[in-house]
Amino acid sequence: MAFKLSAEFKAKADKLCAKYPRRDAALIPLLHEVQKEQGFVAEEAMDELAALLGLPYARVKAVVTFYTMFNRAPVGKYHLQVCRNISCHMAGAPGLLNRLRDKLGIAEGETTKDGLFTLSAVECLGACGAAPVMQVNEEYFEKLDEAKLDALLEDLKHGRLPGRAR
Amino acid sequence: MPKITIDARTIDVPKGTSVLEAAQLLGVYIPRYCYHPRLSVSGNCRMCLVEVEKAPKLLTACSTEAAEGMVVRTDSEKVKAARRDVLEFLLINHPLDCPICDQAGECGLQDYYMDYSRAKSRFPAEDKVLRQKRRALGPHLVLDNERCILCTRCVRFCSEVTKTSELEVMERGDHSFIDLKEGKALDNGYTLNIADLCPVGAWTSRDFRFKQRVWFLKKAPAVCLGCATGCLMEAHYNDNTIYRLVPRPNAETNTWLCDRGRMTYKAAAAGDRLSKGVIKNGLIDLEPALREAATRIDEAKDAAAVLGSPWLSVEDNAALALLAGGMKTENYCFDFKFETGIADGILVNKDPSPNAAGAARVKAASGGLNFEEFLARLSGGKIKLVLTEARAAGLLKDALKASGARLIVFANNRGEIPAGAYATLPYASYFETPGTFINYQGLERRTEPVVQAPEGVKPLWQVVNKLSAYSGASLRLDSAEDALKGLDKK
Amino acid sequence: MENILLREKVADLQSYFACGGYRALKKALALKPAEVIEEVKKSGLRGRGGAGFPAGLKWSFIPKDAPGPRYLVCNADEGEPGTFKDRELMLKNPHALIEGMAIAAYAIGAETGYIYIRGEFTAECALLEREIASARAKGFIGRNILGSGINFELHLHRGAGAYICGEETALLESLEGFKGQPRLKPPFPAVKGLFASPTVINNVETLAAVPAILEKGGEWYAAIGTGKSTGTKLFSVSGPVNKPGVYELPLGVTFRDLLEKNCGGMREGTRLKAVIPGGSSTPVLTAEEAWAVKLDYESLATAGSMLGSGGVIVIEEGRCMVKLLQVLARFYHHESCGQCTPCREGCGWIEKLLNRLEAGRGTKKDIDTLVSVAEGMLGRTICPLADAMAMPVISFVKKFRSEFEAHAAGNYCPPDAPVKR
Repeated sequence: MAFKLSAEFKAKADKLCAKYPRRDAALIPLLHEVQKEQGFVAEEAMDELAALLGLPYARVKAVVTFYTMFNRAPVGKYHLQVCRNISCHMAGAPGLLNRLRDKLGIAEGETTKDGLFTLSAVECLGACGAAPVMQVNEEYFEKLDEAKLDALLEDLKHGRLPGRAR
Repeated sequence: MPKITIDARTIDVPKGTSVLEAAQLLGVYIPRYCYHPRLSVSGNCRMCLVEVEKAPKLLTACSTEAAEGMVVRTDSEKVKAARRDVLEFLLINHPLDCPICDQAGECGLQDYYMDYSRAKSRFPAEDKVLRQKRRALGPHLVLDNERCILCTRCVRFCSEVTKTSELEVMERGDHSFIDLKEGKALDNGYTLNIADLCPVGAWTSRDFRFKQRVWFLKKAPAVCLGCATGCLMEAHYNDNTIYRLVPRPNAETNTWLCDRGRMTYKAAAAGDRLSKGVIKNGLIDLEPALREAATRIDEAKDAAAVLGSPWLSVEDNAALALLAGGMKTENYCFDFKFETGIADGILVNKDPSPNAAGAARVKAASGGLNFEEFLARLSGGKIKLVLTEARAAGLLKDALKASGARLIVFANNRGEIPAGAYATLPYASYFETPGTFINYQGLERRTEPVVQAPEGVKPLWQVVNKLSAYSGASLRLDSAEDALKGLDKK
Repeated sequence: MENILLREKVADLQSYFACGGYRALKKALALKPAEVIEEVKKSGLRGRGGAGFPAGLKWSFIPKDAPGPRYLVCNADEGEPGTFKDRELMLKNPHALIEGMAIAAYAIGAETGYIYIRGEFTAECALLEREIASARAKGFIGRNILGSGINFELHLHRGAGAYICGEETALLESLEGFKGQPRLKPPFPAVKGLFASPTVINNVETLAAVPAILEKGGEWYAAIGTGKSTGTKLFSVSGPVNKPGVYELPLGVTFRDLLEKNCGGMREGTRLKAVIPGGSSTPVLTAEEAWAVKLDYESLATAGSMLGSGGVIVIEEGRCMVKLLQVLARFYHHESCGQCTPCREGCGWIEKLLNRLEAGRGTKKDIDTLVSVAEGMLGRTICPLADAMAMPVISFVKKFRSEFEAHAAGNYCPPDAPVKR
């Protein structure tokens, strides 16, 4: 599959690179940009970024696989990321996760057949005072309980919230 | 010059010396996996932890600079406990496949386990993290990620030495692993060093795999004749067979060896190894082959020519010079001018031959033509027969073809014989016979015989000696050194 | 007392300025850099990220005459479980951070600064981006700040999901576009930090305290707190309390006051069992220990724990400590960067032991192994992540051993009973 970074992307990249004394420091911000456009970071994108920044491919791949925010395969329109760390755990995160598994019929790391939802259990989102917390794409939903979760799922199903690029 | 005390012994070391290196100078061995003297310090394996007075925690000897008045203990209970623990951590996820692992016998895990641990495992086998088992990565290597201890020597080698940066640690934590781009071969010309560098059995040599248990191997010093760099190496052999070549690190020339150099032992045992003479395309016993060659040389009289070879030892070139003298021809040449110097920034030389400098020494003693003059005479029809070594004959290829001069060559393998050669005489390779070589730096290096030549195959100076006897101008050489003496007399 | 950091209605430049914002910067620019550092030293301000290193001292380590650029980096990679104060601070009072950074940059001679912010904090990122732009437009940062001839360019840099990047040298690696793996020290960042140049890295809360210190004086700040632990601290409180959230209180406040006066006490029907006082890495305190403790660097150290990030995790009676430790172990196992052997292998081992114990398949021997594995990790790695795993393990087992033994004896708790609300 031929994958090329667009001219706009390259212009944006130049701006990002200018923030640093070394261009390759912009690798992570650029990966965020790729993910914003494509919904995930494909192998071809890693090749292109490596070429753009003059880096070995392995460095780019190592970075992509080190950080948890980079999706290496397409994810659903809504990426449900349930925090399962200590404060959210105490506030009922396991129940929320179970409910999502049941309602969506998928396990963590899976995407519903309609491509609408991907479910992930994630570590501390830094919002423990409002536990339990779930991040949907980039937005936080706090102080959840089962009723709120159900309502949120309905909203998402009916497209009342913007989805991610895919 | 900081003064440092290690295990109650004191030494002055140059500024910048690490505690690990200082200990080495005192003969105190500190165990290590990730540290390598020629790679950057990464400090990840934690095996070299030592106790430093006034430091609240144990420090890694590899990354701690020796400082004035520093007092270090490498044998305290605290240090021993740390080594035991680190080793245990390294082993919990390591597979138990030593019986089929090539590294067995030279494995850092096995060695240190015997030295520092000997503890029974308290980690259930079913809990081990499973990773990808063996897969070939490139022409020379096999990677077994399950055996890997993530010391990153291989990663640093590819980024710092070959600067090709193919390898990286992917993912993180205990499910991280060494990898390169999917579908890419690891082939940077120096990959077998990775098999040497790897302290465990994660990287093994495809060539060496399963050929021989390392404890059966005997070691002999050798010199690489793959190019003018003349790297020092060590041949590992058993039962008259060489199994692998590894570098013999030295300050002058090489820490590493290139992949091509590593494979140079293969020709000696190759299927096309010559043990008989060849006339045109037919195999023939050595004696009749020699007689035929001598006859042709005599027949050519002063139109016969001898070209030395930068692929032959000083001794064998000297024998050829003596032969030229006996033949009473002015057509001889020991002049090879290659551009020299490291071509790839690592080891491979611009000069593909190992001994142009050695041939030059013979030229200095015995004179002879410049290579250009030799070529001109050959092209001008003044030379009717050329006696030389097979690869040196390659330097004359076009002129030989144009002039139609007869070619008699010395060769180790049938594959080396140039097209159109009239006669070929076999000789012993430098894994089988001693020889002196002078590398591009002018350093004299001697190869020592590691294995025996195939039956009936003699060192080149001996073949020359016989040839001289058949042609009536006997040289009476009893040893390779005789050839050198003869040269001095001249 | 009035809050220094968590103030209401200062979230944009105009209101911040109206409340006296950026006066401290002006004041600082009139001083010599060394005098600014002196003032911060006088304040006794200590790093609020977890380690508690004196901020002024850290600044003074930047070599005076080193050629080439210097950098100021703000660590906004808030990720220590139980900690959510920097997020709140950035949302409520972003200019305290921006102004604090401008002052710190002037003090150490840095012309470039970066805020390394957690990748997940999208809203905070957008807000900061906007507020940095307005500060630049008003000449508080950028070229020739307030006509002083001093330059300070400030950039925002998003992380991408790795707890380890909260460790300052891992953060630098990440900021340079590498995997976030901690560096060997020495060299310390003050000598060789970002892009191999002298660098100061401070937590959001630390930097945001700087304007007030400059404005009102180091002595004023030092008078708040216990004398050794000076100033106010943001405490993130989570768990079954009536009003979880972030509270700014003078250091040395008692846990009892924090819980009862600020957080409205324990939720009805719950009783305090234990407290993790400084983020998930710090040793747990029993209820009895917690009721008696003051929240400052020294008191918590005396109590066998740490102030850490000030992430106070409240645990109620009936909560299974084995399960909670398993949750933490899963986290550290997930976040270990994999560089150092003891951490890479030890975190996973600990999680596996806890999985077994929690499921009632463990033995008493597993409990001893658990502690000895943790001890084998302690103090033997490049960065403190291994310690952050080991300390909870050791303290949980020490203080709640009977629960671990009950699990080993087969009397384990039912999986995740529904939460009482």
